Amino acid sequence: MSTTEEPPRRSWAEPFKIKMVEPIRATSFEERHSALRDAGYNTFLLRSEEVYIDLLTDSGTNAMSDRQWAGMMLGDEAYAGSRNFYHLERAVQQHYGFPYVVPTHQGRGAEHLISKVLIHPGDVIPGNMYFTTTRLHQELAGGTFADVIIDEAHDATSEHPFKGNVDLGKLDALVQRVGAERIPYVSVAATVNMAGGQPISLENLRKVRAYCQEHGIRIILDATRAVENAWFIRQREPGRGEQSIATILRELCACADGCTMSGKKDLMVNIGGFLAVNDPEVFEEARNLVVIYEGLHTYGGLAGRDMEAMARGIREAVQEDHIRARIGQVEYVGEKLRRAGIPIVLPVGGHAIYIDARRFLPHLSQDQFPAQALAAALYLEAGVRAMERGIVSAGRDPVSGEHYYPRLELIRLTFPRRVYTQAHCDVAAEAICALYARRERIRGLKMVYEPKYLRFFQARFEPLGDSVYESA
Amino acid sequence: MTDRRQQPGASRAAGIELPRANAVIEPFRIKAVEPIPLLSPGERATRIEQAHYNLFRLDADHVTFDLLTDSGTGAMSANQWAGIMAGDESYAGARSFRRFERVVQDLTGKPHVIPTHQGRSAEALLMKALVRPGELVPGNTHFDTTRANIESAGAAALDLPAEVDADPLFPGNLDLDALKQTLEKNATRIPLVILTITNNSAGGLPVSAANVRKTKALLNPHGIPLFIDAARFAENAYFIKHREPGYSDRTVEQIAREIFALADGVLMSAKKDAFGNIGGFLALGDDSLAEAIRTQMVITEGFPTYGGLAGRDLEALAIGLREILEESYLAYRIRSVEYFGEGIEQAGYPVLRPFGGHAVYIDAGKALPHLGAGQFPGQALAVAFYQSIGMRTVEIGSVMFGRRNRETGEEIPAPHELLRLAMPRRVYTQSHVDYMVEMLAHLRPHLNSLPGYRFTYQAEVLRHFTAKFQPIVTPV
Repeated sequence: MSTTEEPPRRSWAEPFKIKMVEPIRATSFEERHSALRDAGYNTFLLRSEEVYIDLLTDSGTNAMSDRQWAGMMLGDEAYAGSRNFYHLERAVQQHYGFPYVVPTHQGRGAEHLISKVLIHPGDVIPGNMYFTTTRLHQELAGGTFADVIIDEAHDATSEHPFKGNVDLGKLDALVQRVGAERIPYVSVAATVNMAGGQPISLENLRKVRAYCQEHGIRIILDATRAVENAWFIRQREPGRGEQSIATILRELCACADGCTMSGKKDLMVNIGGFLAVNDPEVFEEARNLVVIYEGLHTYGGLAGRDMEAMARGIREAVQEDHIRARIGQVEYVGEKLRRAGIPIVLPVGGHAIYIDARRFLPHLSQDQFPAQALAAALYLEAGVRAMERGIVSAGRDPVSGEHYYPRLELIRLTFPRRVYTQAHCDVAAEAICALYARRERIRGLKMVYEPKYLRFFQARFEPLGDSVYESA
Repeated sequence: MTDRRQQPGASRAAGIELPRANAVIEPFRIKAVEPIPLLSPGERATRIEQAHYNLFRLDADHVTFDLLTDSGTGAMSANQWAGIMAGDESYAGARSFRRFERVVQDLTGKPHVIPTHQGRSAEALLMKALVRPGELVPGNTHFDTTRANIESAGAAALDLPAEVDADPLFPGNLDLDALKQTLEKNATRIPLVILTITNNSAGGLPVSAANVRKTKALLNPHGIPLFIDAARFAENAYFIKHREPGYSDRTVEQIAREIFALADGVLMSAKKDAFGNIGGFLALGDDSLAEAIRTQMVITEGFPTYGGLAGRDLEALAIGLREILEESYLAYRIRSVEYFGEGIEQAGYPVLRPFGGHAVYIDAGKALPHLGAGQFPGQALAVAFYQSIGMRTVEIGSVMFGRRNRETGEEIPAPHELLRLAMPRRVYTQSHVDYMVEMLAHLRPHLNSLPGYRFTYQAEVLRHFTAKFQPIVTPV
C-alpha cells in the first residue's frame, strides 16, 4: 500500500438496493412562489407534492426494508395480546435492555405518559437542551425545564466531539439550589436534536449516572436517535472502536432508568414509539394511563403491523453497515457544504445538517426570523424543504410571554433514512451554494399568525419586503 | 347501485319463485388468509389459568375465534392494501391526507377534517376544546371512552336512552322528553350533545333519522351544537333505509349525508365503519373550534395533516370510507350478525333482541341463574366459551361496570350481566359461525355446573383490562 496520503473518497455506496420507488416532481419558480405564499412562508404548511426534495424531517419519512414490509403483512390486529406486541417487547428488551415496554402511537405519546407519571407541579427537570414536545409535556405536567448542557452546545462554531454532554457543574448547582427531591429525573437526549444532532459520550453519561445515584434522581433517556449516538461514541470515544453498535447501545441504556422512544427515526418506521422502564411501579402506572390516551397496553394506539415493522426495525437499526451508510450520507453533504464555506454547525450531526442562519444572513436581526426566511428562500430556490430551528421553534416564556431568544438560529436539513440517493444530495447541496452566493437578496419576515402551542408547526408569516427572496 | 338483497328471495327467473336463502353470501372473495390457532382443550385450560381467567390477558395466538371487539380487527380489501403501499409519509401536507380530507369532507359536508390516531383521541381533543368543569354533556348513551373524556374535562356525562319499547325498530334513540326537560333546567350548562350511531353501549342498536332531526330541533333554540359519534354510521344508515318510513328509495350514502348534515360536527373511530386497523377523525363546521383543536393536537397526537397516523393509514381509510357504503356489503354485514344471533338463540341461550349491527349479546345473568352478580356470571360464561370452544368474548356486566366500595370492599353490581360477541368485519365465514353455534349447543346442558369467579387483583380504574380472577370452587 502507498504511504502517501490518499485523496478524499467521493464515493460510498448504500448497503442495499432499491426495491420500490415513489415518483417526485420538480416544480417551476412560479409554482413554488405561489405555493410558499399560500403556506404563509412556513415550510410545514406546504403540500408534499409541491416539494422536490423533502428534508423537513427524518421522522416517519424513512424507507422501510422489504423485511419490514413483509412484517406489515403479518400484522396481528387482535385488540388484546397481539403477537406483534410480543415481538416488539422482545426486541426492545434485547436491544434497549429495559424489561417493561408500553407501546405508544408516537414518541410524544411516551413523553406524555412519563411526564404524567413522574412529574409533580413545581418539579424541575434538567436536560441536555430542550426538545419542543419534550419540554411542553414537562410544562403541562407542572414542571419546569432547566438546561444543563455544556456551553459548547450553544456555540455553533465549537467543534467539541460530544456537544450533547451534560455539564455536571450546572447539574450540581441546580440540585443544590432546588433540592434533589424536586427533581424527578434528568432528561437525557441521545443525540441532542436541537444542538444539531450532537452526541453525548458514554463517559459523560456514566458520570451523570453516578451523580444521580448518589442523589436518588432517575435518568430518563430520549433514545430516539440513540443508535446514531452509539455510532459517534464508537468513532470518537477512546477505547470504544472495537465494540459493536448493539453493545454500545445497551451500555447507553444501562445508564438510564427508562427511555422514551419515537420509532420514526432510528427504527425506520412511519409511525410508532414506546416507553420502556426498569421500575415495575412506574410501568404499572404508565400502563393504566396508556389506555386513556393511546390504546390498550398491548397495542398503544398502533396497528399490529406497525409494531411488527418497528420490532424488525430495531434489529436493522443496529446493523453496522446500515448505520455507517446512514451517517456517511449526512457527513458527505456536510463536507460538501463546509468546503463551499457555508456556515454549518460542526461537527456534523447524525441525522441532519444545521445551517447557521445568523452567519448566513448577518443582515437580519433575530426578530426578523432569519432561519424561517432562509428555509423559505431555499424552498423558492430549489424546491428543497428544510425546517426552522431557531426563535420560532423556541416559542415564548410561559411566565413573561416574551419570545425565548435562543443562541442558535438554525435551519435543519434532515435526511430521511434510505430515501434519497447521492444525486439528490448533490442537487440539494448545489442549491444551498447558489443561495449563499445571493444571500443578500433574502429578506426578513413578520409573524402574522401565532398558535398557542408549538407555534412553529402552524405559524404564518409575510415578507418584510415585496418577496422573501428575489431569484436571479 | 342496485341491491339484489333488497328483495329477499328474489330469484324470479323463468317465473319460478324461490324463498329467501338462509345462507349468508359474502359480496367478496378472499385474497389473503391468516391461519387461526387451533388448541386442544388441555392447552386452553392451561392458557386461561395462566391468564388468571381474564380474556384480555390471553395472547391472541391462543385464541381460535376472536370476538373480543369489532374495533380495528376487520379485514381490509385489496384496494385498501394497495392504498397502504401508496401512502405518502411526508410529515406535512402529504397527498394521502389530502385524499382522506376530500373523502371525509364529501361525506360529512364539514370543511375541517382533523385526523387522529384513534377515536378516543378525537373525543379527548373535542372535550378539551368545548367542555368546561361543571358542565353537562347529554347523549343517547355515551361509549365508555367518551364518558371518560367528558369526565376528565370536569363535566358530567348524562345518558338519556329512550325506553326500549318507545320505538322497537330504533331502540338506540335518545329520549327526547328527557332531553327537553334537561334543556329547560340546564341549557346554559350544556356545551354539546352527542348522538352515538349506532348506539354501541345499548347493543349496537340504531338511531332513527327522525330522532336525530328532532334532537337537532330541540337544540337549535339554545344554540347548542349536535355531534355525531359516527363509529358505525353506515350500519346505522342501513337500518334506517330498511326500517324507517320514507327511506327505502334512498341510498345508504344519501342517508348518511342527511344524518351528517343535521350535525354540527362528527367524531369517528375509523376502526369500525371505515375498515381501518387504526385511525379516527373529527369533522367540523366551526372555524374557530377547528383552529383551537389543531393548536392543541400537536401536543399529544401529531401535526394536523397526519394526526399520529402513517400516511398509508389515511390512504386506507379514505378507501374504506367509500367501501363501507356498498349496500351489498351492509346487507351481508347486518344479516350475518343476525344469523349468528339466531343460531345462538336456537342453541338455547337468552339473547338480546333485536340484534344490533356489530355484535350479539347473551344475557349471562339469565343463562347462569345459579350465579349471583357477585359471582360474575358474564365472566363465567366468557371463560367457559374460551375453554370449550376457543372463543374470546367480552363481559359487559359487573366486571366492567361494577364498582368496589373502597371502604367496605363490597362489590356494587352493574344493572345487567351481559356477554358480548362482537363480529370483526369481513373476517369470519359462515362456516366459522356454524361451528361456534354447534359447539355452543353442545355446551348448553352444562351451564348449570359452571363456577363463579372472584377477583384476586383489580386496578383502580378500567379494572377489566388487567384484573385477575379465581374460580369459586364450591364443595360438592
